[in-house]
Amino acid sequence: MDWTEATLRNILTKALENGGDFADVFIENRQTLRLVREGERLDKVNSGTDRGAGVRVVANGSTAYAYTNDLTETGLLEVAQVVAKAVEDGSSTAVEALTKRDNQVEINPVIDPRQVELTQKADLLAKADQVARAVDSRVAQVTVFYRESVQDVLIANSRGYWAEDSRTRLALGLMVVAKDGEIMQTAYESLGGATGFELLTEESVVEMARKAASAAVRMLTAQPAPAGRMPVVMAAEAGGTMVHEACGHGLEADLVQKGVSVYAGKIGQQVAAKGVTVIDDATLPNHYGSYRFDDEGEPAQKKVLIEDGILKGYMYDLITAAKDGVTPTGNGRRESYHHRPIPRMSNTFIAPGPDRTEEIIADTDTGLYVTKMGGGEVNTATGDFVFEVAQGFLIRDGQVTEPVRGATLTGNGPETLKLIDRIGSDLGFTIGTCGKSGQGAPVCDAQPTIRITELVVGGIAAGEAGEEA
Amino acid sequence: MSSVTQLVQQLIEIGQSKQINSIEAYASQVQELEVEVSDAQVENLQKAAETGVGVRVLHNARLGFAYTTDLSSEGLTKLVQEALENSSIVPTDQYYSLAQPQPYEELELLDRESWDTVSIEEKIALAKGIETAAKAYDRRVSKVRMARFSEQMYQVALANSYGLTASYAGTGYSASVLAIAQEGENTETGWGFNFSHRLAELNPEQVGVEAGQRSVAMLGARTVSSQKADIILDPAIGAEFLGVIAPALTGDAIQKGKSLFFDKLGQTVASSIVNISDDGRKLAGAAAAPVDDEGVPTGETPLIVNGVLQGFLHNIYTARKAGVAPTGNGLRSSFRGRPESSPSNFYLLPGNKPAAEIIAGVQRGLYVTSVMGMHTANPISGDFSLGASGLWVENGEFAYPVRGVAIAGNIVDFLKSMVEIGSDLKFLGSYGSPTIRVAGISISG
Repeated sequence: MDWTEATLRNILTKALENGGDFADVFIENRQTLRLVREGERLDKVNSGTDRGAGVRVVANGSTAYAYTNDLTETGLLEVAQVVAKAVEDGSSTAVEALTKRDNQVEINPVIDPRQVELTQKADLLAKADQVARAVDSRVAQVTVFYRESVQDVLIANSRGYWAEDSRTRLALGLMVVAKDGEIMQTAYESLGGATGFELLTEESVVEMARKAASAAVRMLTAQPAPAGRMPVVMAAEAGGTMVHEACGHGLEADLVQKGVSVYAGKIGQQVAAKGVTVIDDATLPNHYGSYRFDDEGEPAQKKVLIEDGILKGYMYDLITAAKDGVTPTGNGRRESYHHRPIPRMSNTFIAPGPDRTEEIIADTDTGLYVTKMGGGEVNTATGDFVFEVAQGFLIRDGQVTEPVRGATLTGNGPETLKLIDRIGSDLGFTIGTCGKSGQGAPVCDAQPTIRITELVVGGIAAGEAGEEA
Repeated sequence: MSSVTQLVQQLIEIGQSKQINSIEAYASQVQELEVEVSDAQVENLQKAAETGVGVRVLHNARLGFAYTTDLSSEGLTKLVQEALENSSIVPTDQYYSLAQPQPYEELELLDRESWDTVSIEEKIALAKGIETAAKAYDRRVSKVRMARFSEQMYQVALANSYGLTASYAGTGYSASVLAIAQEGENTETGWGFNFSHRLAELNPEQVGVEAGQRSVAMLGARTVSSQKADIILDPAIGAEFLGVIAPALTGDAIQKGKSLFFDKLGQTVASSIVNISDDGRKLAGAAAAPVDDEGVPTGETPLIVNGVLQGFLHNIYTARKAGVAPTGNGLRSSFRGRPESSPSNFYLLPGNKPAAEIIAGVQRGLYVTSVMGMHTANPISGDFSLGASGLWVENGEFAYPVRGVAIAGNIVDFLKSMVEIGSDLKFLGSYGSPTIRVAGISISG
């Protein structure tokens, strides 16, 4: 981006003209393309350009933020003036000389998706559609989504940080509806990363299409899920929704500091079963939640949050790190220039353990085997979470048996983490967009195959009416 | 208003200079202020201004769309070119059309006086009032999070090459808070929320009191054993359920076969007391506007009448495909999106009974005040399974709070099992619901 040090310092100086501890500016230029194929034709093509900038001043623990899409020096100086007006502490903070930061993270997109012809992308979606439909005559509908985004950002702050990042992200997803008489079932698969178009090889797309279609067809014979408490085995391929909801959000420092996390004040304590290690790593090469710098210009890092069941630390942005007197962890992220940064996850996972998947299942008498998780939600203050089981099977006598539909898992984060008694040696990732405070962030979650000794399964085959407990 | 109306005219002219027969431009300008307080201090103050445009071109029966926030004349020219290129790879479709000019009636959405005269200090005081009210409700309300006041002023303009022009402006004020109650080791939360187009009609203190009430009422919550029982939905939860039903009643979902109401027109889909409508002119709802985002005038569309499915929500495209008139439901998520057939203010019409009388008539059931995972309900199969909490009702009275249970079922059965609907219609954003009693729902504890 074409901004000189002098201009950036002018903007920061203006923002701090009425005092304040700290100021930063975030400038963004993003090009997005979305394609949707539905009803055996290209249904939607949507492209756009988002340009804008936000200026922030932090003074005595309060934050003023303003943004504009007038990307001239005058436009940014006006925004800096708006935030300066919200500050009244009279202190004077000098803006330090800006030095560009070096990148240490391996994110190397090869093929710029903007250079790939629209028709080539449309053909890839058509291929996925045809492959899915060819799997079984009961495949009734196929929707294929494609999204590319190239986001160039510049972040500069009054402490002399200056970071620039170009983030290319791609995602391709498939929703398959299978139909047999009155019964309809859906299955979803997706693939994405902080990579270029090389990610979407024909082989990988074909494999994903087959997988989604087979899963939807298999679920047609699913029985209503049983309700009640039972052991749950989650396959690695099920993805990391559980770790994301059950513990990730509660380890974000803003929620911890506001006392609305069940993990507040528990550093050094046992918060999960022995053997459970939880990591957030924004530096994993080319993963969907990876970045070189966060949206405050901090270098991406790998953080061990829980080690062998002991809580080690939280995920911080600049403000929360200053409050706790710790080093920022590079988790200050924002959806766009519309938002101020807040602590967010990147790629979050439970580290693999010693057990073999087959043995975990064989050692389980009865229970639910989850091979695909859907969406979820958590109340961080109580730790209660819920998430849907997109594909599940019953385990009987150590064997995976028939598929079940309509199940959700309800539990409590810290309680559930303590009930993990088996950890597999595999690791499976899923991509997603995590929502918090109205901001979406691209993330990746993962876990090995794990067993939880008891979770509440909310199924649709509830027992008979009984007396209350 | 001038800048958005000028922008759309400029875009139409660019289109005409490129010999594009059918072009439509949509522009919106939004100004926003949000104040969040914590412990009587301003924690966050956010001020924003954004203008953006979206263009649709209809070229050789192919529709292309693109958007931008780059409002320079090069930016606008590039935008029209991009929309044209995007149209080149989609198949032809005879049902696409832009709106013909039609007269429409204005709506009173703008509270210009409050916007211009109420100072920022007064607005900060309103936000502080939310927090104070929540804390003052009960000494067990130990923390308050996200005590927020926000205001928005928007200006929208629309024009197309058939001579249509439309524009309107509005304001929106909202207050929200999360109260956290603690007693011993037990922590519970409660939400409060209110929206109005007019500042004078916003009641920030009531929002704080409601959140406090909800959080304290949940203290000491326990689980119940798995069983079938009646559930009574608080209007806020009823509104969340309607949020799942609404997308299934859009022309798009029906025509793509992605709806549990597919093939059900004219059939009984709900109990006979159920009446559901959509009305873009209802001022209590956040989605009120005189025209939709294609320029079609808005109005009431009855969808379910006495339990019978009577119609769907249409934009111009889905209406032409279905051979009916558009219902004024071509709505965009913002200038970044195309107008899709979508709900505007979507609500369940109220019945005659006050909520208190409904609860008094329940022998054994769960009064649901909070659900988790509503977005996971399946709009095609209708299956849902949610984490729920609320108050257990026994012999017509609240017995104790309940947490950590799951309620599950299917939307179709759910609509047919509605046995009572309260008189207390309340809008939560753009969805409105009275208290609802539903018989025989699976509760797992």
